[in-house]
Amino acid sequence: MSDTSPHNKESIFPPPFVAGKHDFHSITEAICGVVEKPLNINWILALGVAGTVMAMLFASIGYLFWEGTGIWGLNNPVGWGWAIVNFVFWVGIGHAGTLISAVLFLFRQKWRTAINRFAEAMTIFAVICALVFPGIHVGRVWAAYWMLPIPNQMAMWPNFRSPLLWDVFAVSTYFTVSLLFWYVGLVPDLATLRDRAKSKLAFWSYGLFSLGWRGANRHWQNYERAYMLLAALATPLVLSVHTIVSFDFAVSVLPGWHTTIFPPYFVAGAIFSGFAMVLTLAVPSRKLFGLEDFITIRHIENMNKIILVTGTLVGYAYAMEFFIAWYSGSPYEGFAFINRAFGPYWWAYLAMVSCNVISPQFFWSKKMRTNLTVTFILSIFVNIGMWFERFVITMTLHRDFLPSSWDYYAPTVYDMSTFLGSFGLFFTLFILFLKFLPAVAISEVKGVMPQADPHWEGYAHAHHAVSNAVSNKEAH
Amino acid sequence: MGHANTFNEDAKLPEAAAKRAQTIALACAVVGLGASFGGGLLGLFGGDAKELHHQFYFSWLTAFFFFTTLSLGGLFFTILHHLVRASWSTGLRRIAENLAMNIPLMAACALVLSMGFGDVYHWTHIDPAKDPIFAVKEPYLNVGFFTIRAVVFFALWAVLAFFFRKNSVAQDGAQSAESASAFNFKMRRLAPLSMLAFALSLTFFSFDWLMSLDPHWFSTMFGVYVFAGTVVALFATLILSVLWLTRNNAVSTDTLTIGVFHDAGKLMFGFTVFWTYITFSQYYLIWYANIPEETGWFMHRAQGGWEHVGLLIAVGHFILPFWTIMSRHVKRNRFMLGLVAGWMLFMHFVDLYFVIMPTHHHHLHLHWLDLTTFVGVGGVFLMGFLFWCKRDALVARKDPQLTASTGYDNV
Amino acid sequence: MTSQKNWGVLAEFANPAELLHAAQELHKLGYRKFETWSPFPIHGMDDAMGLTGSKVPWLTLGGGLTGLTIGLLLQWWTGAVDYPLVIGGKPYFAWQFATPVTFELSILLSAFGTVFGMFALNGLPRPYHPLDRVARFRRVTDDGFFLSVEVADPLFDMERTHNQLAELGGAHITVVEDK
Repeated sequence: MSDTSPHNKESIFPPPFVAGKHDFHSITEAICGVVEKPLNINWILALGVAGTVMAMLFASIGYLFWEGTGIWGLNNPVGWGWAIVNFVFWVGIGHAGTLISAVLFLFRQKWRTAINRFAEAMTIFAVICALVFPGIHVGRVWAAYWMLPIPNQMAMWPNFRSPLLWDVFAVSTYFTVSLLFWYVGLVPDLATLRDRAKSKLAFWSYGLFSLGWRGANRHWQNYERAYMLLAALATPLVLSVHTIVSFDFAVSVLPGWHTTIFPPYFVAGAIFSGFAMVLTLAVPSRKLFGLEDFITIRHIENMNKIILVTGTLVGYAYAMEFFIAWYSGSPYEGFAFINRAFGPYWWAYLAMVSCNVISPQFFWSKKMRTNLTVTFILSIFVNIGMWFERFVITMTLHRDFLPSSWDYYAPTVYDMSTFLGSFGLFFTLFILFLKFLPAVAISEVKGVMPQADPHWEGYAHAHHAVSNAVSNKEAH
Repeated sequence: MGHANTFNEDAKLPEAAAKRAQTIALACAVVGLGASFGGGLLGLFGGDAKELHHQFYFSWLTAFFFFTTLSLGGLFFTILHHLVRASWSTGLRRIAENLAMNIPLMAACALVLSMGFGDVYHWTHIDPAKDPIFAVKEPYLNVGFFTIRAVVFFALWAVLAFFFRKNSVAQDGAQSAESASAFNFKMRRLAPLSMLAFALSLTFFSFDWLMSLDPHWFSTMFGVYVFAGTVVALFATLILSVLWLTRNNAVSTDTLTIGVFHDAGKLMFGFTVFWTYITFSQYYLIWYANIPEETGWFMHRAQGGWEHVGLLIAVGHFILPFWTIMSRHVKRNRFMLGLVAGWMLFMHFVDLYFVIMPTHHHHLHLHWLDLTTFVGVGGVFLMGFLFWCKRDALVARKDPQLTASTGYDNV
Repeated sequence: MTSQKNWGVLAEFANPAELLHAAQELHKLGYRKFETWSPFPIHGMDDAMGLTGSKVPWLTLGGGLTGLTIGLLLQWWTGAVDYPLVIGGKPYFAWQFATPVTFELSILLSAFGTVFGMFALNGLPRPYHPLDRVARFRRVTDDGFFLSVEVADPLFDMERTHNQLAELGGAHITVVEDK
């Protein structure tokens, strides 16, 4: 707990958000520079690797469509396998983006400006990955449209009493709203790229998507209002999405799934894993693209603190589940938890607890929180732990009420190639994003600089002189 | 930053205002406690009056729990302020610290309950041999262990409350910005562990004192549910306190600005939504799964007139405040926000009433003891609060962060 | 090419403070059809220009109420009227299970109202603007702070407006033409 030792030099007030000596123009240069530089070989290599892994995803999906869900490790008590695990995993990761953007915006946490663009992009790509899984695990993909309330020749409607249908609405709404939120934030920055474009192609493509934004104050007025409202809408939306995902499990009557703490516990877990993924991406990217002045150690430290808090909340939920499973006096409930911790999947439970509850505890120390290597490694641990959490929850199925139907679930090579492949999809999209769009919100970073405030002390003198000159003139 | 000492307001509670409030508090305490104890003792004579005796303890539990949550809210706010290193809330810090200082007083109120413990908590006289579900949890739910936990919780909270307030007041005498900052660092250092201890103790406190009223029922969310209500009530109390202090010129509106007021309103709004989220999720999961071991708790509260109380809570604890506090105009209007804050405190009481009282009355039955215990415990609470308010400055005057919060507006 | 006509004048200012000040003064002088242009929103500019509040919240509210209505009607009509079916012993329609979908649709349509409403109120997309003809104006998305006064303003007078802008500290004052 070294952070807390009272260094007299340490100010009680936080340091500024943009490091280095920057003015408005140098910010534009630094961030747009990444986009405008010619393609470099490392980037092409990275894209090639990610693209290859992505190809594995599409190959696996192709084979799945051809052969059916039998290629996966599903068995009778475990009718839900890696597909649901991966779905929840990716949706969870997709939460930090909107959370950073919306919640931190509403709380006027200006440090968000450095990472929000990044995190929002991550949200969108993670939700795309998530949406793949319910899409493909329906078995008969050609009937996937049954999930939507479309009038059809069977004269049937979707079952609105099913939590899986709520999921369809929640995740697609989340995707759409996150995309809009991201896009609205991008518009002024796309206009910057348009105005700096050297080639016709760049001019036209950035021009098309920037919609003719020119920074008029009347536009900014509506824009800021809309952005604030979107943030206010997105905040309950983030909470609702993982709440509804938790309903998939919690409205059932299965011991280990049906427990009232699931909604906030899932939300905390989602934020936890989302921030971990932001760090996994941000730590190397800031180095590769020279964004150290924007994504500073202070940002990293703040995110590590959130990881510590949410990891501890998740630990609280694990503890409550265990306690109440015992306290309830229900033998089924008790068995489900004993079986989780000491049954055939004890190793998964151990991985979950050690990665999610124990590993973030290192962040009590300021040394650890501000160490990039430690941060990077622990963020990966958290990602692994959160995947195992969903695995543990899903594997509750393997020993159901009827001991004769108990079975052990093991994934097949296709389960693994699909999951691994989804990382390919994610990274391909992310690598493309880093190259073609501004990775840091340019106009927002400018907006939180001290020079952006018209009452900044640096302007006091000039301002006064002009104002005197004008009022003298008026007097004549 | 060298402007730590530019704040000159002494921020003392004016004598006249203190006297007036203390008189009211004393009158409430005397009348309320007198009538309540009178009613409770009358019940000892048995016969028709026997019911009064039982009623007394249930009413007392409701009032006791309500005011305890205000103190706990104060403690939570104090810890949170240091944990997140907030500056806007520096002006509110001392009020929250004063609220938290009532913990020992509330512990004394808890002692009253010990006399009628068996009347309130049925598990004290369940035979584990005849009740296999209870038999499992008997090692946890027994009078001895319950008492130990209660003592530990109250001692923990009291120690935390004293620690934070002691350092906070000591800071008032700091000579320089550096020595003042040292206190902030000291309090920040303890904040994370305090928060952890607070979260766990509040959870088990709510399991013990409220959830175990129905010893068969359980909900993993219950601690979070009680916490959410507590925080809403805390912000309502803070808003009303600020209103009272600024009206009486105890603290100027330059210190507790409209911006601070506005932000407290925003947080009250946020936590009202959070409370709704938690409460709805708990209800919803139990409604949907509809399994007998859980659903009875809500079934019980969906009949016998209690359904009206449930509806009142849905409308009064969510829909009304949601649409009211959402407006920026309301949040920046001292009178209107004060009105909503008062309403939220009332709804917090109704919420607790809805948890506690159906275990005693199968049919909704309002009793005069509900009112007198509330007035009595409330009077005691207010006396304690005023005692701490009078003792020292009402704002943490030397906190270097105060300057960040004094000129503060958020627009 | 059709005949060229004047659209207005454009002046550049050094920083947000000067731009804000210029906007304040122009508003005081009685100008209404003027606009400030900046790479980020400037705090206090709405008041300086004398703008009234944004209408976006109303569109948000409208979207939200539409979503709420659609959500409830959809679930009630499909489940309880058009094809009632007992599933899991649940009622055909109940507010409890209708909450998630209703909530999501309310948020979705609120967001549509907000974003598309904002674009509509701002008159976007707008591919062409007379200011695009001023080369310096491209810096508005980088570090340029501009103020334009339109010919359409009743107070507009080429020479006087030009001078007033110059006195307020405006540089590179340009007459902007429109086609």
